[in-house]
Amino acid sequence: MQAQEPVDSQIQAIRRDADVISARQMGRRLAEDMGFGRPDQALIATAISELARNIVVYAGYGEIEVSVVRQGHRQGLRIVARDRGPGIADLGSALADGYSTGNSLGLGLPGTRRIVDDFDIRSTPGEGVEVTAVKWRRQ
Amino acid sequence: MRWFDLSESDRTQTRELSRIADDVSERIIEAFYAHLLSDQTAARHFRGADHIARVKQGQSRYFRELISADVDDSYIADRRRIGSIHERTGVTPTLYIGSYAYYLNKLALEVQQQMPEAPEKAFTLILSLFKIAHFDMALALETYVDAREETIKARERELSELPTPVLQLRPGLLLIPVVGTLDSYRARTLTVQLLEGIKEHRARAVVLDITGVAAVDSAVANHLIQSMAAARLMGAHSVLTGLSAEVAQSLVKVGVTGEALNTAGDLQRGIQLAENLLKG
Repeated sequence: MQAQEPVDSQIQAIRRDADVISARQMGRRLAEDMGFGRPDQALIATAISELARNIVVYAGYGEIEVSVVRQGHRQGLRIVARDRGPGIADLGSALADGYSTGNSLGLGLPGTRRIVDDFDIRSTPGEGVEVTAVKWRRQ
Repeated sequence: MRWFDLSESDRTQTRELSRIADDVSERIIEAFYAHLLSDQTAARHFRGADHIARVKQGQSRYFRELISADVDDSYIADRRRIGSIHERTGVTPTLYIGSYAYYLNKLALEVQQQMPEAPEKAFTLILSLFKIAHFDMALALETYVDAREETIKARERELSELPTPVLQLRPGLLLIPVVGTLDSYRARTLTVQLLEGIKEHRARAVVLDITGVAAVDSAVANHLIQSMAAARLMGAHSVLTGLSAEVAQSLVKVGVTGEALNTAGDLQRGIQLAENLLKG
């Protein structure tokens, strides 16, 4: 299920906690412009928060890209989180509830997966992580 | 430097100018300052004739270095120093780059006039000058950006060190309004302040209001859960208020369960709930 390439996209570099807030706001604004309802806007903002927070905690430096994607008549908001950090050795565990190598609830990745419609994660240990998540707008 | 494709041959090129440098630099600098002082915004940066004379002297050294100095660490440090002076004194990037462009144009014209017999050589020389000038500008702008970054970081530190007020509503009952961003540093401070507040006021119930928290995600929820658990160990029950409907829904979807957080719909009900906890 490959969505079409995005028409336009916005990028926020993630280096520190304050950037997490900026990325969130960027995503929320785009979601609002696209006509997502307020609950979905909050879900998108939360998903971005979780992904951006992971970048700050585990990789230290990366970026969040949000864009509009289309598939047939459907329109969706795509979030891509990229970093060049240490990567994830065990993707299976990282996606399980309550698993954390940091001191957290371990809900970041599995939680994000639950609140979006499409979720894809790629990681090569030593080379970083790329997470792609799409939330489709309800017709 | 590699990014600017600056090489030794560029240096050899521009050093050709050394022969005529003093003569040329004086003329260019005079024209340059006449231009600068004709502009009100630019002229504001100069305080009297003495100051202008001093800056002109600096400018002539800058010029000599531009065409002949080794581009090494001390060169870079010096250019960065100049950038930071500009930044501090409020010279805008527009003014800085605009002035440089004017300066470079005049210089290019001079070079062309000085070498009528070898236009191609003059052209490559000008290209080399352009490279070095751009390198200079990049250094200065980097310094601008660094200085701003420092300011932003300092503000962020100030903000995160803002004490969270611990208000006593009545004996045994505390209200803590949490405002801003709850990063891990602030969350630790919050926990400490919460626990100290409980001890100092011998509190048995605490209302944590997070209406003013910019973003609530699982990391923030985790901080709150830990703070509330620590409070419980100190013998105080806590109630969380100020969660908006959207935030509550997202948290549940992410997987933060209601059991870990004792919540109330709004501040008023939170206080009622805390009072009940006090009685019970």
